[in-house]
Amino acid sequence: MIVRSGLEIGQAGDLQRRKAAAVAPKASRPDGPAKRRRYVSDTPWPWLMPLVAILATFAIYPLFYNIWLSFQEFLPRKRQLAYVGLENWSTMFADARMWDALQVTLAYTGICLVIQVVLGMAIALLLDSDEPGFGLLRGVLTLTLVVPPAITGMMFLLMEDAQFGLIPFVLKSLGLMGAGGVILSSPTWALWGVMLADTWQWTPFMVLIFLAGLRALPKEPFESAMIDGANAFQTFTRLTLPMMWRVIAIAVLIRGIDLFRTFDYVYVMTSGGPGTATYTLSLYAWQQTFSFIKWGYGAALSLFTLVIIVLTANVFVRVARLKW
Amino acid sequence: MNPVDRKLWLASITDRYVRGGMDRRTFLRSAAKLGLGVGALGAMSHLSARSGLGLISPAAAQENIQWPEDMSNWLKEAGKPFAGQTVRLATESTPPSNAINSALKGYFTEMTGINVEIETLPLEQVLQKLTLDVASGLGTYDLYYLDQSWMAAFSGDVIDPREKYESDKNLAMPGYNIDDFLPALVDGISMYDGVMVGVPYDIPIFIQMYRRDLYEELGLKPAETMAQYLSNAQAIQQAKGPEIFGTTGQMKSGHYSLECDWTCWLWSHGGSIFGPDKTFTGNDEAGLEAMNYWIELKKNMPAAVDSWTWDGQGQSVAQGIAGQLISWGEFFPSWDAPGGSNVVGLMEATVPPKANSLRTVEQTGFGEIPGVGHQGGSSLAVSKYAKSPDAAWLFAQWATAPETQVWITVLGGGTGPTRQSAYDDPRVKANAKPGIAGTTRHLDAVRETIANHMGSEPDLPEWAEISNDTIPVELGRFFAGEYDSPKAAMDAIKTKVDGIVAG
Repeated sequence: MIVRSGLEIGQAGDLQRRKAAAVAPKASRPDGPAKRRRYVSDTPWPWLMPLVAILATFAIYPLFYNIWLSFQEFLPRKRQLAYVGLENWSTMFADARMWDALQVTLAYTGICLVIQVVLGMAIALLLDSDEPGFGLLRGVLTLTLVVPPAITGMMFLLMEDAQFGLIPFVLKSLGLMGAGGVILSSPTWALWGVMLADTWQWTPFMVLIFLAGLRALPKEPFESAMIDGANAFQTFTRLTLPMMWRVIAIAVLIRGIDLFRTFDYVYVMTSGGPGTATYTLSLYAWQQTFSFIKWGYGAALSLFTLVIIVLTANVFVRVARLKW
Repeated sequence: MNPVDRKLWLASITDRYVRGGMDRRTFLRSAAKLGLGVGALGAMSHLSARSGLGLISPAAAQENIQWPEDMSNWLKEAGKPFAGQTVRLATESTPPSNAINSALKGYFTEMTGINVEIETLPLEQVLQKLTLDVASGLGTYDLYYLDQSWMAAFSGDVIDPREKYESDKNLAMPGYNIDDFLPALVDGISMYDGVMVGVPYDIPIFIQMYRRDLYEELGLKPAETMAQYLSNAQAIQQAKGPEIFGTTGQMKSGHYSLECDWTCWLWSHGGSIFGPDKTFTGNDEAGLEAMNYWIELKKNMPAAVDSWTWDGQGQSVAQGIAGQLISWGEFFPSWDAPGGSNVVGLMEATVPPKANSLRTVEQTGFGEIPGVGHQGGSSLAVSKYAKSPDAAWLFAQWATAPETQVWITVLGGGTGPTRQSAYDDPRVKANAKPGIAGTTRHLDAVRETIANHMGSEPDLPEWAEISNDTIPVELGRFFAGEYDSPKAAMDAIKTKVDGIVAG
């Protein structure tokens, strides 16, 4: 069965008309040129200045400062920064810990994305109904999103504790884990243990985005498919997925960037261990910057993370043919 | 009546009250005659569970504690020029800091007019805040809480308290008596390269603790040697496992706690972190013997120790699943607190077993002092960049004064004081009873360990990185099975540590 939005085609048409009206020439607006001029200025700069100032202070300046800092290093004994040229960058590319961390970060991002997209879509399809009670269920979904990630990390740290935790207890009771089994201190399972916390918290975010997309889909193609005898799988793969593609792509983009910067869960649950099995790039950059006061090296690591995110995101936008 | 007699008398009437030989009204009347007023209740706050009096809460303590008149008058005078200033301190959430923050600092403000802001943070975040503060020179914090492992890194950023005490007589608290601090602590946690970096503030230290009921049942005795300690663990594990484990640990990969455990086994087997040539020696014969011992010991621990820091380790004992441990003595009072523990009155404390052999300081590097009783003490230091250095110095003296240490010990849950006089104080001794919150019955073991068994980590600026990352990360890898042998793990640590030290 295809579950989909109750948005009527007429309503979608209204939306299109409203959009058209928004870009129409002044004369076509019922409220006339006088009202429209309230949003237009011949001298826009004074109006833009607050936004520009905020951007300059909190985005542009820190970015350029970080670039400058990546060519310096803090000398703890002299308590000052010294120019080191490309040393931080060459050290970084030769640093096995950095490559380990990058590998962990990519694995974490990729696996979490796949799980959260699949789970998110499945749950969204189940919840896309106007039956009584479904509204409440959709509301309940937002609850995980308001929990601070560090708290979620702490919850799962306790739930996955090998001695007192609920999850190992259940797994052992079901015979899926041996008596001495551990999650967070096993190099094989630790990353999965952290990903479980992330997935618990952020799958509902995917569900909400997908639900919004599903409920905005037009009815007609689905009705036609039903008349033509398409089964649920065919309708999903040939109608729902193609029509949802941009929504999915945007959700993947947002979550992908977020996952690549993962810090809280790892910091709280494993501190990057066992060994370096769960060290992400963000955790490594944080450690170098704030624990060891290697500000220059930390800046280089952060910039490298930024470059990877920007490049990947741009490639993804092109491949997914997203338009802003 | 002199102060000592007054204190002894207070201890005596407190004891009579607890035993039911005196009613509350008579007790308070007798205390009032001593000039102690309702403050006497604080001295017996720990007796709540038995007497029904009710544990004195921090709020109640703030209402009731009285300070010696001479101390109070001096602080009022000395603090006048600084009234209205604010002293800021970033500290780990330790019993002394919590007791001062929640129950005691109000008295200091009342006496001096100086405000005190205390920020309690996890240890690693304290290090970050302080490092940023000294790097920027902003003076965000007037006082630094300095772990013993950071002494070298911050020695150039603080005011030597001895020099300050001698040079600024107007601000030298009468009766402060720097010589009252336990000498081993002054050497172990406050000195670097001849400079007194701060005043000894607290002293978490490894002592031997065990379940009396299990020992009695199995006919065990507190270990006097490392071999006995292992065989005791094995005996408990064999008889009581898997419900109760022979011992427990704080072995989270990449966490400082794992390095703390390692040093205990390393030092007790005649090893050291550094040799006299200042290179890593954990991979020598003694170091490998220690690793093999640790591997055997770990077979008697819960599997979860690999994900526990000190919190998990302490909790495992409180839950009643561990029979013995050599670890932080400051755990001990919490296990005796009714309501929060399954082992109330069952734990005993004693000094650590004797080391198989012990290297001398001369046989090590960077001032490392081998000893089974790993100490994690800290000092309170006035920052060179402080905005209110004199007000901060007044606070530092008050916070580490003999009288304040007594109150910290009594109200702060039986934490180990750094002054000899505090260990001897009748109010502290009156708490040395089993089954009460804030017991001090482990403090004899703490004191003796400080004097005769204490081990201190080396002092070098790179130690924070080595002890918080390099060693615990590689040890974590070893216990996760990423190295074939202890030798391979220790060799890897040597390469990294020597590289860091060489810069």
